[in-house]
Amino acid sequence: MASYTAEEPTVTLERVNTPPAQTWNYLKTNDITLTVPKLSRKGDVYFALPRLFDKVETGMGQKVTDWVTSQAADSTYVEVKAGEKNHAPIVVDVDSNAGTVQDAGVLVRQGASATVVVVAHGTSAEPQTSAALVRIIVEEGAHLSLVEVVATTDAHHHLESVGIHADAGATLDIRQFLLGAGVTALGTCATLAGDNGRVSLQTHYLGEHEQTLDINHVVRMAGKNGRAEVHENGILNDSARKSLRATIDLIHGGSGSKGNEAETVLVNGDGVVNKTMPVILCDEDDVQGNHGATIGSVEPEQIDYLMDRGLSRDEATNLFVRALFDDALIEADQPLARKAVFERAQQVLGAEVAQNLLDTLGLELAADAGEKDADAQATATATKESAD
Amino acid sequence: MSQLLNISGLSAGTEEKPILHDMNLSVGAGETHVLMGPNGAGKSTLGHVIMGDPVYKVSGGTITFDGQDITDKTPDKRSLAGIFLSYQAPVEVPGVPLYSFLRTITQMRPELKMTARKFRQRVGEICDQLDMGQGFLTRELNVGFSGGEKKKVEMLQLLLLKPKLAILDETDSGLDVDALSVVSRGIEAYRRECDGALLMITHNTRILEKLDVDRTHVMVKGRLVAEGPASLIDDIDQNGFARFEQDGAAAQKAEA
Repeated sequence: MASYTAEEPTVTLERVNTPPAQTWNYLKTNDITLTVPKLSRKGDVYFALPRLFDKVETGMGQKVTDWVTSQAADSTYVEVKAGEKNHAPIVVDVDSNAGTVQDAGVLVRQGASATVVVVAHGTSAEPQTSAALVRIIVEEGAHLSLVEVVATTDAHHHLESVGIHADAGATLDIRQFLLGAGVTALGTCATLAGDNGRVSLQTHYLGEHEQTLDINHVVRMAGKNGRAEVHENGILNDSARKSLRATIDLIHGGSGSKGNEAETVLVNGDGVVNKTMPVILCDEDDVQGNHGATIGSVEPEQIDYLMDRGLSRDEATNLFVRALFDDALIEADQPLARKAVFERAQQVLGAEVAQNLLDTLGLELAADAGEKDADAQATATATKESAD
Repeated sequence: MSQLLNISGLSAGTEEKPILHDMNLSVGAGETHVLMGPNGAGKSTLGHVIMGDPVYKVSGGTITFDGQDITDKTPDKRSLAGIFLSYQAPVEVPGVPLYSFLRTITQMRPELKMTARKFRQRVGEICDQLDMGQGFLTRELNVGFSGGEKKKVEMLQLLLLKPKLAILDETDSGLDVDALSVVSRGIEAYRRECDGALLMITHNTRILEKLDVDRTHVMVKGRLVAEGPASLIDDIDQNGFARFEQDGAAAQKAEA
C-alpha cells in the first residue's frame, strides 16, 4: 500500500485507456491523459508478481501497469488450486482515502472457481489518487467471477486496470459498479485465448456533478466458438462526462465466435458530455459481432406516470439512480463491497433512502466487513508466501 | 354523504384544442360512479385532468378533493392526497425494478410506511390475490409486460396505496376473460378493503356486474349530457349512445 498527499510529485500518463482501433482525433475520445502521484521507491525491495502475469494484456495499457507496479509496494498473489470450488472471495481493498495503490495477481488453476472482488472506497473530501491493477489468469475449464466497485467521493481519482487471460473452456463473469469518484478511469481487457471461452461483462455506472468517467473495454476472441456479451448501463446527471470505448476483437482463427456489445445510457443534465465508441474488429469469416448504443433521457410520459404515483419530478428522476444502487447492493454481496455501495448510496441518495434500500432488499451490512476483508487479505498473503 | 370529489364548471383541453366544456360532477366518499360515452367523448381526458396531467390546461372551473382546491396542484400532490389514476395504457419504465418502485411509492405516504418485512408480506398477499407470480417484482416496471400483466400491476398499486378515490380508465380494455376476472377481483378487493370511491371509465358493462354502482354519467363531445342511477347502464347496453349524441349535438349547437 502506498499513500500520497496532494503536494507530492506527479507524473503525467499520456494516451492511456486506448482502444485497439482508434477513431478521428478531433473527437477526443481515443484515450485519456492522467496526472498521478509519483512516489520515489529507490532502494526499496518489494514482492513482485511472477513474470507469468507480464503477458496478460490489461485494459488501461502498459503505462498504467508500469506506474502501478512502481508505486504499489508489495503485490498480492493468490493461486486457486486446480479443481477448488469453494475458495474464499479474494478481496482487493483499495482505500481511496489513503490513496492506496494495489497490484494483484490471481491464478485460477484448471477447473477451479474463484471470486475476485475489487473495492475502491472512501468518503473523505481530501484529494487523493488511488489505483488497482488486477491481472488474472484463468486456466482451462475454470470459472472467474469478478466484481468491481468504485464508490468514493468527488475529491478522489481512481484508476483501475484489469487484465484477464482465459484458456479453453474458461468462463468469466464480470460485474462493474462505478458509483462515483471525481475521475474514474477503468480499463478491462479479457482475452479468450482458448476455444469455447465465455465472457459476460456488465458495467453499471453513475456520473454526476463534474465527474469524469473514462472506460475502455476490450474483449479479444482468439479461440474458436467463443461467446462475449458486453453490456453497459449508465446514468449521467448534471455535468458529468463519460467516454466509453468498447471493442470486441474477433481474431483470425476464432471461427464460430459471437460477440455482442450494447450500451444504454440515460442522460439527465444539460451539461452532460457522453461519448461512446463501440467497435467490432473482425479478422475471421465465420464469426458474428453486433454492437449498439441507446442514448436517451427520461421520457415526459415516464415522469408523468411516476408523478401520478406520488413522486415529485426530482424523486422520479432519482428513482433510476436508486435502481442502480439496488442492483449494486444485490450483486456486490461481499461485505466490504456492500458496505462501500451503502456508504456511497448514503452520499448520493441520503441516509434515509440508503437505509430504506437495504430494508427493501432485506439485506444487512455485516458488522465485521473490515475484519472479514482482513481475513481474505491474510489468506492472500499466506498464498503469496507459499508462492515464494 | 360528503362529497369527496367536486368538479365545478370545469373546462380544459390541450394548447390547441378545448376538450372538456363546463363540466360538473361530484363523487361522494365510498361511492362508485361510472363514466360512459362514445369514443372521443373526452372520458380519459377528464380522468387525466382530475389527476393533473400537464398535457392538459384547465381554462375554467375548479376541482376540489377532500375539501381542498387542487385545481393548480401537481400530480404528485394529488396522488399523495389520495387520488389514483389507473392508466389505460400503463407506461413502461426501463431501469426501474417493480419492487423498488412499489416500495418507494409506499414509503412516500406516512400513513402507509411499514417495515420491509411487512411490506414484503403485503405485496405477497396482493400478488396472490391477483394471480401474479412474484417473479414480476424483479422485472423492470411494465417493460415487456403483456396488456393483462400491466393492468394487474395497476391493480397491485391500487391495493397497495389504498387511495380515497380511484379513477380506472378503461382498465378492462384489451383483456381476455381470465385477466378481466382477475382485474374485477382487484376492484372488488379495493372496494371491500379500502372503502374508497371509484370512478370507472368504461365501455364494458361486464366489469360492472359485481359492483354496486351509485351513479352513472354519460359524456358526449366533452360534455356531461346525462346522469342517472345504475339502471342507466343497462339502458345504454341495450340502446347505445345515439340519443345522448343527439343531446350532445344540441348542447354544442346551443352553446355556439
